Amino acid sequence: MLRVRAGTLLAILALIITACQPSGATQAPATSGAPATSGASPSEASAPASQPASPSEAGQPVEGGTLVVGLPGDMVVADPTLVSDSNSSYIMLNVIEGLLGVKPGTVGELIPVLAEDLPTVSDDGLTYTFKLRQGIKFHDGTDFNADAVVANYERQKNAPEELRDAYNYYFGAVFGWAEDSNLASVTAVDESTVEFKLNAPQSNFLIAQAPLPQFGIQSPAALEAGDADNPDPAKSPYAQGQGGTGKSMVGTGPFMYKEWVPNDHVTIVKNPDYWNPDGAAHLDEAIFKPYPDQAAELNALQAGDIDLAQTIAPNDIAALESDPAFQVIDRGESCNYGGLQFNQTHPPLDNLKIRQAIAYAVNKPAYIEAFYAGLAEPADNWMPPATEFYKALGLPTYDPDQAKALIAESGLSGDALKIQFWYPSDVARPYMPDPKGLAEAIASDLEAVGFTIEFQTAGWRTGYLQDEALGKYPMWLLGWTCDWAAPDNFLVTAFFHFLGNDPNPEFAYGPPELKAAFDKGLSATTDEEAKAAWEEAQDILARDLPTVPLVHSKPPAAASADVKDFLGAGNLNEPLYTVWLDR
Amino acid sequence: MVKYIVRRLVLAIPVLLGLSFLVFAFIHLLPGDPAVSLLGQHATPDRVATIRELLGLNKPLYVQYLDYLAQLLHGDLGKSVINNRPVLEEFLRRFPGTIELTIAALVIATGIGIPLGRLAARHVQGWIDGAATVVSLLGISIPIFVLGYTLQYFISVQLKLLPTSGRIDPRIGFELSTNFLLVDTLLAGDLDAFVDALRHLVLPAIALGSIPLAIISRITRASVLDVTNEDYVRTARAKGLTERRVDSRHIMRNAWLPVATVVGLQVGGLLAGAVITETVFAWNGVGRWVVEAIQDHDYFVVQSVILIFALIFLVVNLVVDVVYAFLNPRIRYT
Repeated sequence: MLRVRAGTLLAILALIITACQPSGATQAPATSGAPATSGASPSEASAPASQPASPSEAGQPVEGGTLVVGLPGDMVVADPTLVSDSNSSYIMLNVIEGLLGVKPGTVGELIPVLAEDLPTVSDDGLTYTFKLRQGIKFHDGTDFNADAVVANYERQKNAPEELRDAYNYYFGAVFGWAEDSNLASVTAVDESTVEFKLNAPQSNFLIAQAPLPQFGIQSPAALEAGDADNPDPAKSPYAQGQGGTGKSMVGTGPFMYKEWVPNDHVTIVKNPDYWNPDGAAHLDEAIFKPYPDQAAELNALQAGDIDLAQTIAPNDIAALESDPAFQVIDRGESCNYGGLQFNQTHPPLDNLKIRQAIAYAVNKPAYIEAFYAGLAEPADNWMPPATEFYKALGLPTYDPDQAKALIAESGLSGDALKIQFWYPSDVARPYMPDPKGLAEAIASDLEAVGFTIEFQTAGWRTGYLQDEALGKYPMWLLGWTCDWAAPDNFLVTAFFHFLGNDPNPEFAYGPPELKAAFDKGLSATTDEEAKAAWEEAQDILARDLPTVPLVHSKPPAAASADVKDFLGAGNLNEPLYTVWLDR
Repeated sequence: MVKYIVRRLVLAIPVLLGLSFLVFAFIHLLPGDPAVSLLGQHATPDRVATIRELLGLNKPLYVQYLDYLAQLLHGDLGKSVINNRPVLEEFLRRFPGTIELTIAALVIATGIGIPLGRLAARHVQGWIDGAATVVSLLGISIPIFVLGYTLQYFISVQLKLLPTSGRIDPRIGFELSTNFLLVDTLLAGDLDAFVDALRHLVLPAIALGSIPLAIISRITRASVLDVTNEDYVRTARAKGLTERRVDSRHIMRNAWLPVATVVGLQVGGLLAGAVITETVFAWNGVGRWVVEAIQDHDYFVVQSVILIFALIFLVVNLVVDVVYAFLNPRIRYT
């Protein structure tokens, strides 16, 4: 009897393996396409409102088809205001539009989207007036107008306390909550005019909001119907993505939300009535699948289970580049920073000469070859070159002799040159794909000039982020991926923000003149004023070298060769409406 | 028998209670904080403090533990810190995926492991026995994730025979109702979707079933060999019984016991292995959820899911003990 059972089992197995493939769904990617090299260049990018997407070398865009995108993780909830992670945002930016946006393929070029044009700003920098486009409808069929804009901002400003910070991060970070908010009022002047009044000038008002779906405009009717402001997001059908199109994630974008099977996939479909013919989607559908494991994601791409892997390890590039069935996507301008961090309460890192010596001792180009597959540039600033008001600072470059000379000048030797060096044990970040490898390479360069390095490691979310923020680590690896491409997001938010007048404990660094420069930059009412202040801040950092900038990386993506006109961007603002499938 | 079962179930209570304490202690001793998990690099001390207060994490640990126990007694397994979803609801949504995978792995492990063990025992010292030994050794010594990647690479990437990951191709657009995909697709009468789900199941089931397969085939072989040399087997053969009858009535009847024990124990191993398999194969199940929850310090998810796993393990072992009585009439529980 058992023999029969085993035989049956084998027969079933064989049947499954050889079973005819379901209609084309899992077929291998076509290999006919030319070995596409990289995504279309940023100059080919089309603003939703300006010129149409230029057809690629491969020909006219083909309409239709389904694109399956592999992401590092799942969406968290379906209401953009309640997420701050890059996976959720990556999906939502196709569905939700704001008054302004960032031109696809760039990291910081502002374009009007739901607004007709960039706003007019009063001389005191306190009033922003937007003219809105007319005749646009939300995915639930209701009208987009000034009242909808007001409702969205009021909703966020007065979010239930349970939702603030824990879920809704960006509104609080940019404006502050309720009566503490710098956003004094939002009013509908008429059907198509909205006026924002601020309590104090805020120079990042536009650039902070533009790239983030968190500031997108959603249908007030759908928010209301889906109980989106329930203090418990698990009880809000809107946040849980229940009900499909028009019930959840209801915006005005070229794609509409369709369904979310948590931990399995999110599906968005083409909006057939999109308001802007030049920005309309070619694809019928896009599906986002979370892959907790990068090796599995690469296998899925190569097997044809997914068409596009949003993030791949730099080490996998070589294999994909040599295969004409695939393309590696260049992300253009970097929007991140990876650096060697110091806390100045730990000697010898309180000593400027020592910090300078370290800056001369690290061989950034070598790390970029070894760990970034060349897809990074040596950092000469704490923010990437595409950032507003960026200035080349001429920071130290690799010169071991100079490093040794500086150590000698410092008068320190022996045990005084011993440094504890931390790296995270369990993550790859866009700005450090291999933290352990990078840490070891840095350590060997530092030991070569006379330092003694003692390695320590901790899990990213199991201690590392918490302890480094409290200033427990003398020297450690950390970086930042931009929320928006302005100096305040890197210099202030990410690193050297002050707690009142005191430097934050993470670096224990912050002279009063730096705070003054930050304050001036944040409250500037003209570009000239902002430029002067932020350049001053950069000069102060270059003078004091509180940490050592290492790289600005361009984390690679990869796709099947028949995925055309995907516009990679360093800030992951990569709307899929340009994409079409050549199959 | 009933009395025995009841007694075993009552004894499970202190075990689960002790376990709840250990798991609570373990997850709270881990460095890190759910507030930091929520905020990532956006965590600032005041934001962390706000969230800790919101989540009740600033209460003394023993108060948190007692609160948790009180909650459990009311049948409330708590809520996820990360997305506020009730743990039980989320568990029920994901568990079917894990059950499907575990059963498939068990089918492979027993369906191949037992015949392989019997075959090896019958041809002891022969080449079949040697081959079976090699298969078992490989099964035991290759870690699940290595086997998983290897299968993906050769079967899916190179040969393009089976999909690499997930439970069903989302392009099919099949709508779930019970989350048991094989059942759902059959109920819907959608044969294409059923075949697709089955195809997605094969590689993870092989990866997950490899270790139990190896163990089960070794135990079966040893156990059959033990019994084969017994006097009553020789007697049975001397009586002139057919080899088939000797095999089923005399050898296997007695050889089943250790095999059943091991199969029961392997269920625990399968639940543990599912943690890795589900991650490697992007399988939407409980195992992958627990991994993410541990990384996120999602306290209630980890605590409650481990308790549920323990309960399942206890029940399976109880079932195995009860099955003994049927396999071997000499065993009686009072």
